[in-house]
Amino acid sequence: MKLSLSSVYRSSNFPAILKSSAFSIPCRSFCFSSLSSSQTSVKAQIPLFLRPARCSATLHDLKKWHDWAKNLASSIGLTFEQSDNGPDSSLLCRELKWLLEDAVEDHTLLPLMGVQNDDKRVTMRAEVDELYNLWNQRIHERRPFQYIVGCEHWRDLVLSVQEGILIPRPETGHIVDLVSDVVSKDDELKVGVWADLGTGSGALAIGISRILGTEGRVIATDLNPVAVAVAAYNVKRYGLKEIIEIREGSWFEPAKDVEGKLSGLVSNPPYIPSKDISGLQAEVGRHEPRVALDGGVNGMDALLHLCDGAALFLKPGGFFAFETNGEQQCRALVDYLENYKSTRLCNFEIVPDFAGIQRFVTGFRRQAI
Amino acid sequence: MSSFIRISSRKSKVDAQSTRILHLFSSGLSSFLYKFVGSPSHSHHIVSPSSLFWVGSRCRHFSHHVPQDNILISRSSFIENIIPLCGSNSFGNTNFSHRSRRGLVFASQIRFWGSQAASEQSTSDGLTVDGILANNWTILDENEGDWKSHATAVAQSINLIKRRLQWRKLMVRLDFLSAQLDKQDLWDDPVHASKVSREHGSLAGKMKEVIALEQELLENIDMIKLAREENDEDLESESMKALLNMRRNSREKELKALLAGEQDLCSCFIEVQSGAGGTESMDWAAMVMQMYKSWAQGRGYKVTVVEEMPGEIAGIKRATIKVDGEYAFGYAKAEVGVHRLVRISPFDSNKRRHTSFAAVAVTPILGDASAHVQINESDLRIERFRSGGPGGQHANTTESAVRIVHIPTGITAVCQNERSQHQNKASAMAVLQSRLDQLEMARQAQLNAQHTQSLTDITWGSQIRSYVLHPYRMVKDVRTNYEVSDPDSVLEGDLDGFILSYLSACLDKDEDGA
Ligand SMILES: C[S@@+](CC[C@H](N)C(=O)[O-])C[C@H]1O[C@@H](n2cnc3c(N)ncnc32)[C@H](O)[C@@H]1O
Repeated sequence: MKLSLSSVYRSSNFPAILKSSAFSIPCRSFCFSSLSSSQTSVKAQIPLFLRPARCSATLHDLKKWHDWAKNLASSIGLTFEQSDNGPDSSLLCRELKWLLEDAVEDHTLLPLMGVQNDDKRVTMRAEVDELYNLWNQRIHERRPFQYIVGCEHWRDLVLSVQEGILIPRPETGHIVDLVSDVVSKDDELKVGVWADLGTGSGALAIGISRILGTEGRVIATDLNPVAVAVAAYNVKRYGLKEIIEIREGSWFEPAKDVEGKLSGLVSNPPYIPSKDISGLQAEVGRHEPRVALDGGVNGMDALLHLCDGAALFLKPGGFFAFETNGEQQCRALVDYLENYKSTRLCNFEIVPDFAGIQRFVTGFRRQAI
Repeated sequence: MSSFIRISSRKSKVDAQSTRILHLFSSGLSSFLYKFVGSPSHSHHIVSPSSLFWVGSRCRHFSHHVPQDNILISRSSFIENIIPLCGSNSFGNTNFSHRSRRGLVFASQIRFWGSQAASEQSTSDGLTVDGILANNWTILDENEGDWKSHATAVAQSINLIKRRLQWRKLMVRLDFLSAQLDKQDLWDDPVHASKVSREHGSLAGKMKEVIALEQELLENIDMIKLAREENDEDLESESMKALLNMRRNSREKELKALLAGEQDLCSCFIEVQSGAGGTESMDWAAMVMQMYKSWAQGRGYKVTVVEEMPGEIAGIKRATIKVDGEYAFGYAKAEVGVHRLVRISPFDSNKRRHTSFAAVAVTPILGDASAHVQINESDLRIERFRSGGPGGQHANTTESAVRIVHIPTGITAVCQNERSQHQNKASAMAVLQSRLDQLEMARQAQLNAQHTQSLTDITWGSQIRSYVLHPYRMVKDVRTNYEVSDPDSVLEGDLDGFILSYLSACLDKDEDGA
């Protein structure tokens, strides 16, 4: 999968795209359609905290593991942080606490650990041996904590995540707030159909559908079958099956039926320039899927494709919001929109994330005159 | 209307305390009734009959057929009962006969009220609560069936409760609030009005409880005497039992009176901050925090760590926990201040004795959303801790800490315990809200001249307690001189002795008798 993707990306470079007037949806999605048709049945994994508590351990053994894990975490100090902006030991210790909370059924027993009742057994969702394994992976392999526990606490949601899909980032949550703002000003958008393209865990689709309420609909697409399975799991867990429809396929391709009808369109597509992938923080570069990160030579392959699609798929007055790599991409994207899409799209805006980095590009489909 | 006039003419005899009682029951109603009657000159009339409900409770023990629910009669039935008295023309109503009968019951109690209120409450032969105390009867063991012992014990309790409630201040405050409630334009500012009426209601409730206690005591004495006169053994033993029960329950009531502050019932945040002195004092701060966690858990409170900033080597620089449960603030507020530790520091290779400090702040979490200070989004600066770098897809971190700065006051709140920024922001907002609320309450209190403490005193206070582990072992509260020779038990959360002795010292010294 990685191979075919990178070959696709290599074939297109940024200036070439800007010049290419024949830049059209079918062409781009064509490249991926062979991938999406590989219908392997993937099953979503159940996050640790939702697994049945079928295991047990003595407080003594649990404490022994905990002490070992804590020592291991402490031994890291600032090493990861200094090498690639990874976690320091205090953050690792907090993760350890959360791991324990997810693994142990009755949290009120945790303060007893090491105090008394050494032989007392606690009911657990994983064997202690597995916990040793998991923590070794966390420290030695830099396996992301969210994969270890199988979930990410994102906004007010707890989303199931697993290897093969991107762990949703806190920055992305801001798109939900942007949608909320827009919808509060225009009731009509609230009742329409929205799309989240490249939905991954389903984070944005779920976040948005909870704003739209029962009258809205969200179509969520992803060409990665793991993402489709996990998103479906999360959607089901939040009881949103009636509102969110997950479709497997490349970007707009599985949503042809709503061309020109969308009230809104959001996406956090892969946007990291290919050359930067190798230098990523270990948790990201070594473990998260390249298909979710690599945005081509300039990182903008998918973003440009999405802008083109927005011009066609949004209904008049419809809203779009995309996440980008930062200031450079935001500016390039707005330039592109102004130069090539301004007959159909308008009111472009660059919105910063909470760290003040220009992160999102938003706009509207022009109203019909 | 005629019966009504009689009431108000009696009112002139009524002393200050009873006027207060009159107002007691009018909270929130006067404005409503005002509309009903439609004339400002009537508004004070309307207040008076409400006092009858209270009189009704006094009455009940003598005429057993008066239903007990007269005491806590609801607003609607109150209005239903008062309207006929006020002479409104609801006579055509089919309920008339029932209502007017009720009305008559009240009217007949009016006479009783006048004489009752003019003097202190007493038994039929003139014994008052103060009188009981003045007799200096010896208090025998509970098991001795001696009514004088029981009565004295209960009277002492009542006295103590009054002192703890700061009876005189309570009266003054009630007068003040009643005056506010009588203002015609009060409800022009509904937020303020509901605040006033809420406080009035809560103070009135406290006052009513004490008065009810006094009545119950005196009535039981009356009953015992009556039973003896009439040789009614059943009645005597029943009344004796009732008195004994009062005696047994009085401890709890005394304790409750210690926690009668407006916010005492609230959950709270406890924040511990280490003083100067590096690792040793950070370790001490961690010990103090642990002490509160154990104390709170021991009391059955739910404890959540909101924020914790660990020291580089050991301990904490600062931490905040949330303590959920009834009276958490009432108890924990006694811990505000600086805690001092003297010991041989385990972090000193030369084994020298060190003194370190940790400061403790306690903030109530107001349950009533309408009492909250309004916070403007635009006054906030929200900082999320994140590593530098390009962020977004580049970074995977579980660091979700959020700090919120309230720019106008400079107050900050940090939360890092939750697993998402979103939730941390919500928690930090809660901390910020409670700090701003506390600041506002302190400001109000100063306006009301009830407190002389400065704001910094309220948040961090001055030194309150010493924990000495070397060269001798002792924990001593410098405010009360309460001390314990076993520091370990204290550090394991056995704090109630300190807390209760402080709370009672605070309140019991404040007023010389009630
Ligand atoms: C950066 S991730 C974002 C996931 C999720 N929306 C989020 O914000 O957490 C990009 C997603 O786009 C998906 N993706 C990549 N190429 C795609 C394509 N051609 N069509 C549809 N989805 C694609 C990836 O599988 C991945 O789930």
